[in-house]
Amino acid sequence: MNLLDVLIIPKDDAVAFTFFTGYMAMLAAAIFFFFERSRVDDKWKTSLLVSGLITFIAAVHYYYMRDYYVATGENPTSLRYIDWTLTVPLMCVEFYLLTKAAGAKLSLLWKLIIASVWMLVAGYIGEAFNPEGGDSTHSVLWGFISTLGYLYILYTAWFGEVAKLAAASDNEVVKRGVRILAWFVLVGWAIYPIGYMCMPGGWLNTAFGWGSENVDLFYNIADAINKIGFGLVVYNIAITSSKKVQTA
Amino acid sequence: MTKEIFIFIASVLLLMPILSVFGEISFSTQFLFCAPFIFMIGIPHGAIDNVLHGRDAPHQKQYFILVYLLIIGFNVILWMSFPLLAYVLFLGISAYHFGQSQFSHYFKRQKLIHQFSYLLWGVSILSALILFNLSEIHSWMNDYPEFALFSPIHQLNSLVLTFCISSILTFGSLFWLLHNKAFTVSSFFMECLIFLLILAAFYLTPLIIGFTLYFIILHSFKVLGEEFRFLRAEKEVSSVLSFLKLLAPFSLLSFLGLGLVFALIYFNLLIIPYGYALLIIISSITLPHVFVMDHFYKLLFRNNFYQQKEKG
Repeated sequence: MNLLDVLIIPKDDAVAFTFFTGYMAMLAAAIFFFFERSRVDDKWKTSLLVSGLITFIAAVHYYYMRDYYVATGENPTSLRYIDWTLTVPLMCVEFYLLTKAAGAKLSLLWKLIIASVWMLVAGYIGEAFNPEGGDSTHSVLWGFISTLGYLYILYTAWFGEVAKLAAASDNEVVKRGVRILAWFVLVGWAIYPIGYMCMPGGWLNTAFGWGSENVDLFYNIADAINKIGFGLVVYNIAITSSKKVQTA
Repeated sequence: MTKEIFIFIASVLLLMPILSVFGEISFSTQFLFCAPFIFMIGIPHGAIDNVLHGRDAPHQKQYFILVYLLIIGFNVILWMSFPLLAYVLFLGISAYHFGQSQFSHYFKRQKLIHQFSYLLWGVSILSALILFNLSEIHSWMNDYPEFALFSPIHQLNSLVLTFCISSILTFGSLFWLLHNKAFTVSSFFMECLIFLLILAAFYLTPLIIGFTLYFIILHSFKVLGEEFRFLRAEKEVSSVLSFLKLLAPFSLLSFLGLGLVFALIYFNLLIIPYGYALLIIISSITLPHVFVMDHFYKLLFRNNFYQQKEKG
């Protein structure tokens, strides 16, 4: 084994810490969801599979991102957005799967996926094609466009089709679960724009001098909360619902 | 989450970065941007005080108008004689009114502790509004000697103290209400989130824009919605259009009154700055409105309005 290949984490580098802990947490969560899949009722197996996939895909990307970050000290923007392009639509799939029993149609899934891709593509253009040194107009414009996608998902989760289907569902566990996931979209997903606005030319960067290293710090925290938390909520719904079926 | 809260969140998220691109925005530009919303939505929410009061006391219409005008007159005299006292009174009753409209729908009846919570919440957000925009307020005070009279209220230390104490007590009262099951856990977290979002909006946007965001979306829209649903249930209005017709007369009268005062200032028949005149006018229509709305909310509690809405 060549010890020179071992990556060194600087003691005061919170971003590197969160990359490593994020990687392990995602991997552990993925293993947990895959193993627990056998304990839930058949109708919940796909939901848990999707939860496991979300955290597993994230773990693989975090494996590469932490190395990229430690080696270069730069934001792994492309890897980050590749990860999100796969995992965020999968979170939308979770909403669809939860409300499917209450009559959710495939069109709902597509609308949510389009909104999430809209949000991510605009965010990627805003971040990856930000001119050297940062440009506020560029950052604000694409941030604005991206936020429209986020607001659509937020509206759907709280007032739109997802909320209406959950309200119409006769399963109290699903109702409660959808409400908690809507809270994740409201609070958890709102952490991402904070990271976005820390990039050069970003609003928090120019107004408060928050450095671009904070971009990854906020993204890593948000990822851990949303991906693992989202999965745990789905797991809780699945296990509670399955127990109810078994005792009935 | 209510739709008003969603609109508020969307507005804050979309507006804050855009405003940062513009840099410093002058008072007149802020006012130009916000005035249409304040006049078209803010003023109408208090334009049916006579109708709301009339639902409870239909035989006292003339008496009501007389008392309403007397309160306005009293307030104008107070502004002329003791402006600092009038300003404190305006902030105090506004604080209570904002808190009342924020929390009323959670309660079955109004207890003293609820009223205390209204006041604390309102004091907290209004002190935050002044504290977070103190430099902007100080520049007005430098430009206009009338505003300089309020300097005892605009001291940094006293504002920080007021904000901290009222905020701690507000969170304390929210916990108390949660503990007493007046709030669900979800409502508690939502109220905490709204409170923080309002503070963020006040901190991150210029004074008039920040206040307008709160006043129009979270306050006026909510009150208008409650007024509409109440009057529809009482068969006073049948549709949004008939509700708008009901709002129109006194809204137009208010615009005319404002126009008249501004014209008097323009032709040097009234020698006070426009901003100061606007403050007196707003406080003069706020004072009786707060009494009417307090009465209105008591009526809603008596009629079990919020419980019926939940069932509906």
